[in-house]
Amino acid sequence: MQVFGPSELLEDVLNAGLCIGCGACVNLCPYFRSYKGKTAMLFPCSRETGRCHAFCPKTEVDLDALSTAVCGSPYSGSPTGTYQQVFMARAGEGAGNGDFQDGGTVSALMKFALESNMIDGAVLTGRNGLVPAPGLTTSAREVPAFASSKYTAAPTLAALNDGFNRGFRQMGVVGTPCQLTAVAQMRTNPLQDANFADPVALTIGLFCTWALDTRGLLAFAQKRAPGEQIRKMHVPPPPAGIIVLETDTRTLEIPLEEIRPLVPAGCRICPDMTAEWADLSVGAMEGKAGWNTLIVRTAKGNSLVRKAAVARYLELADFPRENWKDLETAAADKKRRAFEKARQDGTVNAEAGCRAALRVDPRTLEKMTAD
Amino acid sequence: MSRIIQGAPGEHHLFMGNEAIARGALEAGISVAAGYPGTPSSEIIENLAADASETDVYVEWSANEKVAAEVAAAASFAGLRALCVMKQNGVNVASDFLLHLAGGGTRGGMVLVPCDDPGALSSINEGESRHFARLLEVPLLEPGDFQEAKDMIKWAFELSEQIGNMVMVRSVTRLSHASGDVELGKIPESDAKARFRHTGFILDPEQGAMTSAPVGYKHALQQEKLQKAEALFEDAPFNTYTGPENPELLVITSSACHLYSREAIGILGLENRAGLLKLGTTWPLPRQLVRAHLEKCGRVLVVEEVIPFLEENIKVLAAELAPEIGAKTFYAKRDGTLPATGEMNPDHVICALAAIFNLEYRSAPEQYTEKAKLCVLAGAPGRDLTFCPGCPHRASFWTLHNVLALDNREGFVCGDIGCYSMGMRETGFYTLKTMHAMGSGTGIASGFGKLDRFGMDQSIVAVSGDSTFFHAVLPGLVNAVHHGSNFTLVIFDNSGTAMTGFQPHPGLEVDAMGKPAPPLDIAGICQAIGAKVSVCDPFDLENTRDTMLETLDDRQGVNVVIFRQSCALSPEKKGKPRYEMHLDQKVCMGENCGCNKLCTRVFKCPGLNWDEKNQAARIDEVICAGCGVCADICPAGAITKKEAG
Ligand SMILES: Cc1cc2nc3c(=O)[nH]c(=O)nc-3n(C[C@H](O)[C@H](O)[C@H](O)COP(=O)(O)OP(=O)(O)OC[C@H]3O[C@@H](n4cnc5c(N)ncnc54)[C@H](O)[C@@H]3O)c2cc1C
Ligand code: SF4
Ligand code: SF4
Ligand code: SF4
Ligand code: SF4
Repeated sequence: MQVFGPSELLEDVLNAGLCIGCGACVNLCPYFRSYKGKTAMLFPCSRETGRCHAFCPKTEVDLDALSTAVCGSPYSGSPTGTYQQVFMARAGEGAGNGDFQDGGTVSALMKFALESNMIDGAVLTGRNGLVPAPGLTTSAREVPAFASSKYTAAPTLAALNDGFNRGFRQMGVVGTPCQLTAVAQMRTNPLQDANFADPVALTIGLFCTWALDTRGLLAFAQKRAPGEQIRKMHVPPPPAGIIVLETDTRTLEIPLEEIRPLVPAGCRICPDMTAEWADLSVGAMEGKAGWNTLIVRTAKGNSLVRKAAVARYLELADFPRENWKDLETAAADKKRRAFEKARQDGTVNAEAGCRAALRVDPRTLEKMTAD
Repeated sequence: MSRIIQGAPGEHHLFMGNEAIARGALEAGISVAAGYPGTPSSEIIENLAADASETDVYVEWSANEKVAAEVAAAASFAGLRALCVMKQNGVNVASDFLLHLAGGGTRGGMVLVPCDDPGALSSINEGESRHFARLLEVPLLEPGDFQEAKDMIKWAFELSEQIGNMVMVRSVTRLSHASGDVELGKIPESDAKARFRHTGFILDPEQGAMTSAPVGYKHALQQEKLQKAEALFEDAPFNTYTGPENPELLVITSSACHLYSREAIGILGLENRAGLLKLGTTWPLPRQLVRAHLEKCGRVLVVEEVIPFLEENIKVLAAELAPEIGAKTFYAKRDGTLPATGEMNPDHVICALAAIFNLEYRSAPEQYTEKAKLCVLAGAPGRDLTFCPGCPHRASFWTLHNVLALDNREGFVCGDIGCYSMGMRETGFYTLKTMHAMGSGTGIASGFGKLDRFGMDQSIVAVSGDSTFFHAVLPGLVNAVHHGSNFTLVIFDNSGTAMTGFQPHPGLEVDAMGKPAPPLDIAGICQAIGAKVSVCDPFDLENTRDTMLETLDDRQGVNVVIFRQSCALSPEKKGKPRYEMHLDQKVCMGENCGCNKLCTRVFKCPGLNWDEKNQAARIDEVICAGCGVCADICPAGAITKKEAG
């Protein structure tokens, strides 16, 4: 993994329009800050290497190195990454109620992880109007307040960095695949800091095919539903082709075509749909409202799921095989599109001396982009 | 009591040029003095104000230069002698009124003293005021030394009354701010009575209405006044000649340039070859006097600052006289003999003279010059202009810079003249992007704020000082609110006209003479105009940032945010640090990822410096003003503040 500094980050990511505002570079130092979904560099920093660049999921992500560090082997290019088991899941009665997005699996697991002291703080993403508002909570009771998906790219990791600065060393993070790519890079101690301590004890990933630009969505909502508060958003599974915005008084169904221009360019080179670097990955359950797809990837994730099920925080069921096929196809599609786009842009495996957004063994790349 | 009213006639005192001017005004028996602060003019009104209780002169810092001229004119209309003072560009502000005033004439003597700033030593222009004399068609005098600075003022008042129009006496930085020997005259007892007579025939200059109309009649009258002045100039004591009867070169000069020219002639030993005609009355030129000198010499060098004003006027005369006295060869600015811009100095004149006389001249041995250049390069630390330690502007621009970056819409700040002009430089984090005349930031923002229909979606901020607010921001603000322009006006309220030395302004509780005065409430005024107003303390970084972010998001009309924090040098603060500061070098992250010297590399308060040996920042206790702001920017918590006992 090649680490550069903030100037390269500014040039290759922020100025190139690839920033997805994940917040990994925010709150590490006085220079990067996030406001209303957008990350800004306040002043130039002259360092040649920096954590900002090392953590960023949109520049110099070496998939083979990362996979080796997280899973013990180079990046295989398989559509859904390394995993142990897949379930259908939803929150059990022990977890209580909430305004969950789907089955409430994520909220239930985070609640349980806090209560069982597996983590000392949960990094979650709430909202302030349409603006995502990440936060760190130490109280299981507060977890439901963060429930439901914000379909906007969020600076969730700014809250993680803030937690680190405040001394938390056992945090649980819920994040989108790009965010968890940054977290995985963070945990490899890329600057080889002698005093490094891994601050993360649990990662729960959300499936994601794209997110929306916060400011773009704000302007869009202002135009389409002026003065109204958007309470909830959801994207019904294909072939619906719409995004649903619920306001206090009505439900707006917006064709995806209309909203697609609000997808940040960074999403278009993201090869990960199922949050491959997480302990657990959670998505909607196609054809079964009120349930989640739950991918168990690590031993740590497995242990949490088992314990949560025993404690009735989680209800598990078998995952139907045919759904898995669809999921793999969707995930493989996203990978192919992303690498093709990156290849077009010249940002995958750039020539010697040039910087790249993504790096991966060329043979794996061939395999993933073959039709 | 200042020293300018002490001292009996005949005594010699060391006076700054501005003190000499003030003393001259007192010796002329003025009753009213009005001005607006601006370097290099401010000490004139300051000195008169300090003595106001002793002298019975009414002195005010007016809201702006135009008002100052109007206040002075009123005294003249009422039969009193009045002095009006401003810096060079102040005349631009006052010029609309001055044009009408000059057209209509004055009664009691009225003298306008503009102090120009060649080389822009403390200005952002070196525009000069002399050409206004030609434009306004009023007489112009230029003192050539300190004694003249005093004597000329008195003479100017007499002239003003003789011709019934105002007279300009122009000073420059090197005269206003340097000091020299002055022999004092008598300050008369005052028994001035004010009465504005207006019941006479409309064209009666002493009893009728005061106006420049009817223009045809009044303009002709004004020209007659000017001719009368020219006639008086022929014998004025301020035009002198030194040098041989028939010089090889005639040097014509005025003002401080007279001193440079004299020195240059002396250094080159040209006393017997070059003649020096020093003019104190430079508009209109005394034709006969100038002719008498031109006649005797074929070559002329004109030395002046800054524009070729004297040069052109002399050339016009020379052209008119050419059939009688022959063509002359001119050396001056237009032919490049002397630099066209910047301050004049003896070296420039020496070089010009050396070229004309074909002389070798070196100010220093070549070797020395080369060596000195090297030493300067190696030894002198690079120092940019910077805000003082503890200056509220540093904190203010810190926040403005940061909120515009967070806002992320390529927002920018429009500003004007004041200490905060340095917002354009590193010390203000390069935040200021337009800088023009007083109040222009607001007017320009008012214009930018209407360009949304052409797709402009950048955030617009204007800044102004508190004194500037009263001086020239109000019309721009009124304009903006009335036309529904969208922007945020930040008023840096540091309780005084800090840049020029804490002169009071209409927002304060005292006037120029130190008497209680009703303060005008800036927030209330802005509210009444229809702007949304909030107030914050720029030293409270967090609150200021949040307030600014909120206002930037409100894209409806004009928001005014008042940043209230007095200047670090203000009398109530100076030498009284609010906090005791401590920097723990063990906690400091220094160059490491996580800080990279934020305080000494970016924030750059002079109270902080980099300790090379310990690779950590440190506070220079001698320089630190104890404002506490750096404690709030340090990401490591290495800097702490404790309320000073
Ligand atoms: C931008 C985005 C796109 C998604 N796209 C898909 C998809 O294509 N297919 C699919 O199956 N599922 C997708 N999901 C996941 C899905 O919407 C649900 O989050 C997931 O099924 C978990 O449901 P739940 O009921 O367990 O969540 P809940 O119990 O309601 O918990 C939701 C959790 O998500 C976190 N969160 C919400 N918004 C964000 C955000 N913007 N960034 C980071 N964390 C956030 C909150 O912290 C909260 O803890 C997406 C989610 C997001 C945020
Ligand atoms: S290199 Fe470190 S200090 Fe510099 S911007 Fe990046 S994270 Fe901040
Ligand atoms: S993608 Fe994340 S880490 Fe990269 S620049 Fe944007 S906010 Fe920073
Ligand atoms: S800002 Fe703080 S941590 Fe950074 S160099 Fe200064 S004192 Fe040290
Ligand atoms: S407290 Fe800090 S910012 Fe204020 S004057 Fe001292 S060193 Fe400068």
